[in-house]
Amino acid sequence: MDFSEEIRGKAKELLESGTVDCVIGYERATDGVGARPLFVYQPNDIDRLIFDQTCTHNLTKYLLNRKGKATAIVVKPCDSRAINLLINESQVQRDKVSIIGVVCPGVVKAGLDNTSGELQDTCRMCQQHTPVLYDFLVGEPASEADVPDTYPDVTGMEDKSAGERRAFWEEQFSRCIRCYACRQVCPGCYCPECFVERLDPMWVGIRIAPEENEVWNTMRAFHLAGRCIDCNECERVCPVNIPLSLLNRKLGKEVEELFNFQAGIDAETAMPFSTFEKEEKLGISE
Amino acid sequence: MSEFISKKDLLTWLGQLMEERNLVAPTRVDDLLLFSKIDQVEDIVFDFDNTTLSPKEWFYPSSETLFYVEQKDGQTELIPAVIEKETAIFGIRPCDAQGMAMNDFPFLEEPADDLYRQHRDKTALIGLACITACPECFCSSMGSGPHDPANVDILLTEVADGYIAQVLTDKGKALLPDNLLTTADVSSPPAPVLSEVPSDGIAEKMRQAFDEPFWDRLADRCIHCNICSYVCPTCYCFDVRDYTDKERIERVRSWESCQSPGFTRIAGGHDPRSTKGSRLRQRFSHKLLYFPRQFGALGCIGCGRCVRACPVNIDIREIIQDVQQLEVKSEA
Ligand code: SF4
Ligand code: SF4
Ligand code: SF4
Ligand code: SF4
Repeated sequence: MDFSEEIRGKAKELLESGTVDCVIGYERATDGVGARPLFVYQPNDIDRLIFDQTCTHNLTKYLLNRKGKATAIVVKPCDSRAINLLINESQVQRDKVSIIGVVCPGVVKAGLDNTSGELQDTCRMCQQHTPVLYDFLVGEPASEADVPDTYPDVTGMEDKSAGERRAFWEEQFSRCIRCYACRQVCPGCYCPECFVERLDPMWVGIRIAPEENEVWNTMRAFHLAGRCIDCNECERVCPVNIPLSLLNRKLGKEVEELFNFQAGIDAETAMPFSTFEKEEKLGISE
Repeated sequence: MSEFISKKDLLTWLGQLMEERNLVAPTRVDDLLLFSKIDQVEDIVFDFDNTTLSPKEWFYPSSETLFYVEQKDGQTELIPAVIEKETAIFGIRPCDAQGMAMNDFPFLEEPADDLYRQHRDKTALIGLACITACPECFCSSMGSGPHDPANVDILLTEVADGYIAQVLTDKGKALLPDNLLTTADVSSPPAPVLSEVPSDGIAEKMRQAFDEPFWDRLADRCIHCNICSYVCPTCYCFDVRDYTDKERIERVRSWESCQSPGFTRIAGGHDPRSTKGSRLRQRFSHKLLYFPRQFGALGCIGCGRCVRACPVNIDIREIIQDVQQLEVKSEA
């Protein structure tokens, strides 16, 4: 799959008409194989734009650096859900963004080229091949994927005993170096002051050590419960390969079962944790 | 003729070292390659390009107690941290050894960092010359090289059935018993070919490029995730905090990064590096301008880790190239 030409055409139109002053898309990385984000301000940079199955990054986080500025952005279906999330949470103004949505068959594993066909794990479980939100669509809308089991990774984990799960996560979190890359890349993590850096009250110290790492990793996961749009960016960037999507998807599954809600499907429905209905008793006795 | 140690004798020797001191060596942890403390020599990985994280952890741990303050019988007592046990690091690459030598400049210049000095004094480096290299390696452009013996106590180079051993310092002599060495008529394999980076004169170019919009454009895609600093052997920013309870205060230092938003925010809220561009410029200026100015050597040793690990492909090799070619509009 290669949509580079279509993306360039759209970018040219939007820049030359003055609709936007920046197009956020992708270009080839220095290894000659992968992709990296590209900000295009000038028509003569348009030819650098590419789009193929190496375009892994969720670019929507960058919209937060361009608040109030007319911007075009290339999004895959999972990324498009992040824009809904950000509109719902009043972080992005819909009329300032021109969304170039791409029909996506999935992106390939890191280091592989466009033709390899070896999809990332999350993409193999993905239910959404057409963006939920766009102004322009590139590619033919796909008949939705028929993935029999949405959460094979999570149910696999649920089958383990509590002790085994505890041991697994203790091991994983123990090697976290608290770089906070997972937070920096996440479209749902935009607090001006993250709890982890707050001094008063101090929720957690600065020690890079198992007990404090666990507080950091679990609290971040809970802040994304019902808000994570499952782009897998946190897991992709983690320099010590902690399977963060497994944790976030578990919470996503819980929220889906309890509230019949998936984050970012539309921009209107409020998040379960920002509303409270009287009839939600959730097992708390009268 | 070269001094030679057989593979079998090497394992025996490493087993002995493990008994008498901490032995640290590359190990596989899931799909990562990390320097770990070794409990059995079978865990050591010999065949690798370079480790995921740098060995700086063993001189400048990600978190470390600097000292305790205790109240005893009405007296306040400061109890400094003491490193008791000797350590040997096996399998350090020449570039990383150079990195540790670079860290000596800021840490050991008076007033020296006592804890770092203890780690350095108590640690011996058994280097492994590189036979292959990652596509991102560029140490030979940054003052070191794949067979560089300059900063290790012993350098081993793999040949058929064993290793050529160069014992380079007194620390090295004390570590490796003569009777394990033989002389053999073997010659060193060729060094791998590395990517070349035009680092000559880069400090001056970096100075001229200081006010260029180049940095803001580059920083557009930086997500300020700190990964580059945390994987880098020569990044050494830290944060300090006191952990207090009734009887005792513990002062802890942990890794931090100039890339993290708010790193330079001061009381009252002012942040002299509040823009993305100024933050990103800081990392590269530190490596390529301030460090050379202050200590006379490049602060980047070309290990390639930040190139491999940056989630958005901010590539120091490309930056050096671009800055060399930048048409500077006005003299800074
Ligand atoms: S990206 Fe990974 S190592 Fe960094 S803070 Fe998140 S979980 Fe920890
Ligand atoms: S938690 Fe991870 S998968 Fe979920 S939205 Fe954030 S970066 Fe994407
Ligand atoms: S690793 Fe890359 S994205 Fe992260 S702070 Fe460094 S340069 Fe920026
Ligand atoms: S700046 Fe990058 S290439 Fe240079 S020493 Fe640090 S991690 Fe290695």
